[in-house]
This record gives sequence, C-alpha cells and structure tokens, in this order.
Amino acid sequence: MQRVQCWEIQGVAANSYANPNTDVIMRVIIREDPREVSVYIADYIISRIKAFNPTPEQPFVLGVPTGSSPELIYKILVQRHRAGEISFRNVVTFNMDEYVGLPRDHPESYHSFMYKHFFSHVDIPPQNINILDGTATDLVAECASFEARIARYGGIELFLGGVGPDGHIAFNEPGSSLSSRTRVKTLAYDTILANSRFFGGDTDKVPRMAMTVGIQTIMDSREVVIVATGAHKAFAVQKGLEDGVNHMWTLSALQLHQHPLVVCDRDATLELKVKTVRYFESIEQAGTDARTQGPALVYRPRTYVPAPLPTKTSKPQQPTPDGTPEKVPKDLRINTELQRRALEEEELTPDSMSSRLVDSAIGGIDGALKSDLIFDRMGTRVTTL
Amino acid sequence: MPGKTSTPRITKFTNCRLVCGLNLVEQDLWIDSLTGKILKDQEAFYGLHLSPDEIIDLGGRIIAPGMIDVQLNGAHGFDFSVPCETKEKYDEGLRMVNRGLARTGVTSYLPTLVSSTPEVYWKVLPSLGPTAGTHAPQDGAESLGAHAEGPFISPGRNGIHKPEVLRAAETFDDLVYCYGADNMGSASPIKMITAAPEVGNMMAHIPEIAKRNIIYAIGHSDSTYEQAIAATHKGARMITHLFNAMRPFYHRNPGIFGLLGQSERRRPFYGVIADGIHLHPTSIKIAYNAHPDGLILVTDAMRLCGLPDGVYEWTNGERIVKTGARLTLEGSDKIAGSSATLIECVNNFRRWSGASTAAAINAVTAAPARLLGLEGVKGSLQSGADADLIVLGESEDPFTGPTLTVEQVWKLGAKIHDTAKAATVGV
Repeated sequence: MQRVQCWEIQGVAANSYANPNTDVIMRVIIREDPREVSVYIADYIISRIKAFNPTPEQPFVLGVPTGSSPELIYKILVQRHRAGEISFRNVVTFNMDEYVGLPRDHPESYHSFMYKHFFSHVDIPPQNINILDGTATDLVAECASFEARIARYGGIELFLGGVGPDGHIAFNEPGSSLSSRTRVKTLAYDTILANSRFFGGDTDKVPRMAMTVGIQTIMDSREVVIVATGAHKAFAVQKGLEDGVNHMWTLSALQLHQHPLVVCDRDATLELKVKTVRYFESIEQAGTDARTQGPALVYRPRTYVPAPLPTKTSKPQQPTPDGTPEKVPKDLRINTELQRRALEEEELTPDSMSSRLVDSAIGGIDGALKSDLIFDRMGTRVTTL
Repeated sequence: MPGKTSTPRITKFTNCRLVCGLNLVEQDLWIDSLTGKILKDQEAFYGLHLSPDEIIDLGGRIIAPGMIDVQLNGAHGFDFSVPCETKEKYDEGLRMVNRGLARTGVTSYLPTLVSSTPEVYWKVLPSLGPTAGTHAPQDGAESLGAHAEGPFISPGRNGIHKPEVLRAAETFDDLVYCYGADNMGSASPIKMITAAPEVGNMMAHIPEIAKRNIIYAIGHSDSTYEQAIAATHKGARMITHLFNAMRPFYHRNPGIFGLLGQSERRRPFYGVIADGIHLHPTSIKIAYNAHPDGLILVTDAMRLCGLPDGVYEWTNGERIVKTGARLTLEGSDKIAGSSATLIECVNNFRRWSGASTAAAINAVTAAPARLLGLEGVKGSLQSGADADLIVLGESEDPFTGPTLTVEQVWKLGAKIHDTAKAATVGV
C-alpha cells in the first residue's frame, strides 16, 4: 500500500528533480526510531531493485553488511519477500567483510549471520552470493579475486552499510586509507572489545584480523546507503557529516561520493548542529525524498581496473574482442562531462596515500594489491602459470 | 518457482518450530531426499550451492523427529509373536504393520516378542532384524532390531505372559538355544532382551548379552534393590515398563524402582506406559522427577491396536477383552498390554508431568535413540541424522486440554503420510 504511494510520488518527483548537475548530493534522512529507519531503507532497496529490473544477465549488484542495525533491515526485506513484493533471484550480493580464520560455519562468522538473517529466507541463488573466505590459504589472492568478481559484474550498484561508533564503515577502522581496496585488516582494539560480546565476552576469542572491502571499493559503487541508529553513533555521524574528509572517520569519505544516503534515527543526530538537521530535513520536505528521486543515477563511476581473475576460471585471459566483457553502462544516459571530471579526480588522488600511512596492515598489502590491480598484464601472467 | 521437478531433492521447511533440546526453536529445516538425511543447510548452501527445490510453510507447526517405540507387540491384527505358515506371509504382515505404524508417527521401533517357545523365536526373529540400509521410505516404520521380552522372566511377575513357556537360563547356552544360535551371533536381529536378573543364572549372563551389543533390560522381575543394583553392575541399562510386572516400591526395600533414586550407579533408562491404564499419573511424575533424562515412553501396544472392541484370541490360546484402550485377560483383571498410540502417550505424559512439549517429545525420540546407541541418527533433527520427521499440530481438546496430533510423517526424506491430503482425498 505504502509502496504504491511511493511510486505515484516518484512519477512526479522524477520530473521535478530540479538539479541533475549536482552530482554530489549527501542525502540525509532522519526518522524517529530504528524501526522507521529500517523500513525506509528496506523500501529504498526494494524500489531500487525494482527500478533496475534485474535479469540473470544483468543482475542487481548489492553490497551488504552485517551487524545489529542491518539485522532489522533484513527482517523487513524477508517479510516483503514473503509477501511476494520482491524477489532476489536476480540479485548478486557482495558482503563487506568477514573475520580471518573463523570457519564458515562458526556461529559468529558473517557467513552464518547472512545465512541466518537473510539468505536462507529469500530466493537468492547461492551462486550469486559473494562473501570473503576468511579461511583461504592465500588471503591476498582472495581479496584480489573479490575485487575481480565485483569488476566482472560491472561494479556494485548499491552498497548498504552500517557505521561504527568510531565512524568506521566496513572494517575500515580509523586511520584506514581512503583509497584502500579489499584487503586484510587488523581490528582496532575498540572493535575487538565491542565484538567480544559475541564471543562469550572473551576478547581472546575474537579474531584479530578481518578481510574487508576498502573505502575505495565502497566509493566505486554507484550508490552508498548508510544506516546509523542509536545515540552511540551520534558522534560518528557528526564527524562524518559536519567535519572534513578524514581517514580517522572513514564515514566522512562519503562526502566525496556521487550518490550517498545516510539514514539516521533521531538519537544518531544528537551531536549534529540544529542547523545541519534542519537543512537535511528541509531538503526532504522540499520533496527530494531519497526514495522518490527515482533512478536518476546517470553517473557511472570510474570503471574498475579488472583485477586478475583466479586461475580456476576457464575463460581465456588474453584480451580478445570476443572474450572482453562489454563495459556497456546499464544506464545509457552517459554524462560525458561527469566522466571527464572523474578523470581529473583520479589524477588528483595521490596514489601513494596508503603507503604513507603508518597503518602497516594496510600499507603493505594495499600496496601489493594496488600494483596487482593497476598492471593489466597480470591477467596474462596468471594464465601462463 | 521452486518445486517444478516431480521429485524434489531438497525440501526446506519454514515457519516451523523444531524440537531442540528442551526447547522449541523457530528455525528452518532442510532435508535431502536423495540421501534421506537432514542437511547441514548452511554448508549445503554455501559449499554445494544447493537451494531448496521445495519450500514448505508449516504455519508455525512443530517438527519433531519421528517417534521411536521400543516396546510394541503388534498392531492391525498382526502379532509379532505369532508365526505364520510361511515366512513370506509373516513378512507381508510385518510390512502391513510397518506402513500402518508410520501413519501414527512411529518411524522406527523394536518389534517386541512376548515369552514364547524356542520354535517361535527361531521362526520369527530372522524377519525382525534391523532394516537400516535397505529400508525405503514407502516401507513405513523401520525395525531397529527385535525386543525379546521373556521368556527368562519371573513366574510371579509374568503379567499375561503364559507361565508354561517361561524358562530359566542356567548356562548361557540355554539362552542361545532358546533364541537360536543364529540369532545370537555377531549381527543379531535382537536389539534388546528383557529378563529377570534373579531367575536362573541370568545375573552371570548379562555381560555376555551386553557383549553382543544387545541391551539388557530388567523387567518382569521380582528383584530386590540389591539385585537390581547388581544387574546394573553387570551391564543392565534399561528397566522394562517401570512399576508394571515388578516388585512394588517398599520403603524398606525400594526394589527395581530404587535404581532411579540412587546415585551410586548410572541411573538406567526406563520405559513407562502412559496410557492412563497401566500407571497412575502421579507414579509417572514421581519417576520423571527422580530421573527425567531416562524416561522413555512406550506403548506396549499389541495387535488389537486399531481394532474394534470385543473379545479376541490371544497368543497362547487365551482370550483378551478389549474395552476402548483397555485390554484385559478374559476372566481376570490382568492388564494385557495396551492399545494406545505413542502420540497419545506423549499427550498424556505432557499433561500429567507438566513437562515441556519438547521434553515430552524427547521421551519418544532423543531418549530412546540414546538408549539404542543411535544418537544423531534417529530421534534427532541435527544435520546428518536420518530425515525421519513428524509434523505436529496442536489443538485444544475440550476434555484433555492441549493435544498434539500427527499431521505429516516423513521417512528418510520423503513424505509418506499427510492428514490434510488424506482428508481431501476422502472428500
């Protein structure tokens, strides 16, 4: 019922979407409580998937998180699925992160979380699911393969994420490189402490490392939706929205994203200025409800540099005209001006950012990964092995 | 949509409550009809990329493991203790019982023989052995091995077992002779023997029996407490229908019942006939409070189960009067087994003891499986266990209160009974 109304509004709003040139719009939606926030986001995801009209050849690629805030969102998505409102048959998921060393069937693994709260209740085919394998022998290769799989699907359409009290998105703890990609990450002590509640209160049982998508991986997705609920997230929201872009509050990177959406409950706005809250509320009241903006995503981010595919794939690695997947944008309205700007941005982004960081865990691996990702010849090298 | 193929391989039950320990938990259950096992669903999903071919919404109903009856003498007019002219005919009767029994929710059981002459054992035991491995879902209930109740029992505690056929085993060979040498070998069709430890030299034979992987159960016995304790030292692990056909509890000597109160030895399992006739509800409650984990509900049902009231021929030329669920030996008040179904016993027991639904179900699933050494194979919903399942509906009976009814029965991953479907076919 409610959804139908949304669609009616959308028809109007899509026309009245006044300023398509403002490609960087931080959208912030404030709702009274976590339940309303979750309903909003679930509605949003459903409308996005429906507008995309995914097919087996052109699936909707969704980045998904774990955690207590998303749990409610999954619950609502499952309800909607059961009510026959949405199918996930043509949805491909990429999970943000997974602990290193935790077996897949460990009750605290993110495999288990996703299975328990989402995958086992909906019609998503198991082969459409991508979760980092924390037990892989070669973790670096696993990370590279993950990025490659994202690239193969043409990037992530919508990345749903939570935010930590210290402003981290995925496991990109404070101090993470803003240009990082999927990699192994050492957990901050805060995170270990916070997560020990899931391991019987024993910090020794919490894995010390995790694999996570990088900030750049998230930034490359066409859209990012962040859920932030509870007073303990208020400081992170304030730092992420009102302060400058800063690797200590990785949420703030979204200020540079083309299409970010932060959905907060009232408690999570406690540290924001009244001015900020009023501003975002007025935007929503002016009819630019994020849900009703429709598929206005003309912007396509920088295409992924295809990372080396794992050797198991039978596809020829040599770039042949037939073998090269067509990088046709799903949305044919290409804004050339924006693409040019993207190139400029690329030049401005210091490549050595990660190596300059004191954070050794990223520095090394990230560097290694980067070089892998940049050199196209890697693909040919793999096949000769 | 899923379920297009004629024989769905992977079935997922959803919106259901599973018996898990002492609780009912809301969780999905995946079964594989190819292997006949319960799936480790998360691993099947991620590792094997299996997704369900059929999803069954049970509307909040309970899924329990198929029930196990360790003491059942016959049903539908067929008595395990009465040989037919040919083995084929006997086996046919057995198949009929198996199919009928499965519809009551009993998916595996120990076909039980009352005290008989050696010739009877020689004839029928080869038909009653475990059928695991060759059993097909459509065969219905599955034998886990025979239960020989007698004939080495106390003449004073014979119940309705015919006194003439009772024996005492002085040497172990006497026992082997009675049951047949072939039936006491390494792959014995016998899973359990009920005998009185004080009769003949039985006490000395208990270890020999246990060595053959046969459960020795104390029953039909006039044992004192001390004799009962001694029997547990020798390897007794079970008490056959506690309270019935044994020396009653006496405060100066608690008898076999005393085994439930002591902590010197591991307390044995014990069978309880919760049909409302064999035992007073409070007696069951006392036993349950003393040793909740050991309680196993049994029907002790015999061939008249499911037949109309009247007078019927009994094994040894005597006659039995059936009045409702009550069966008595003609011309006496002696109880002659029961004709209650196992789910009725579960309902009675749950009502009388105040045990949780899961605990009551455990008394016909997890507990007998533990006794039989089939933990994780039968009587369990853990992944890897046989997919023998029952779907239980709950209704409010105006006389007896909340009542569980068997609405679906699944054997080795295939549905073999559905009351909803039976009803529609009837209409």
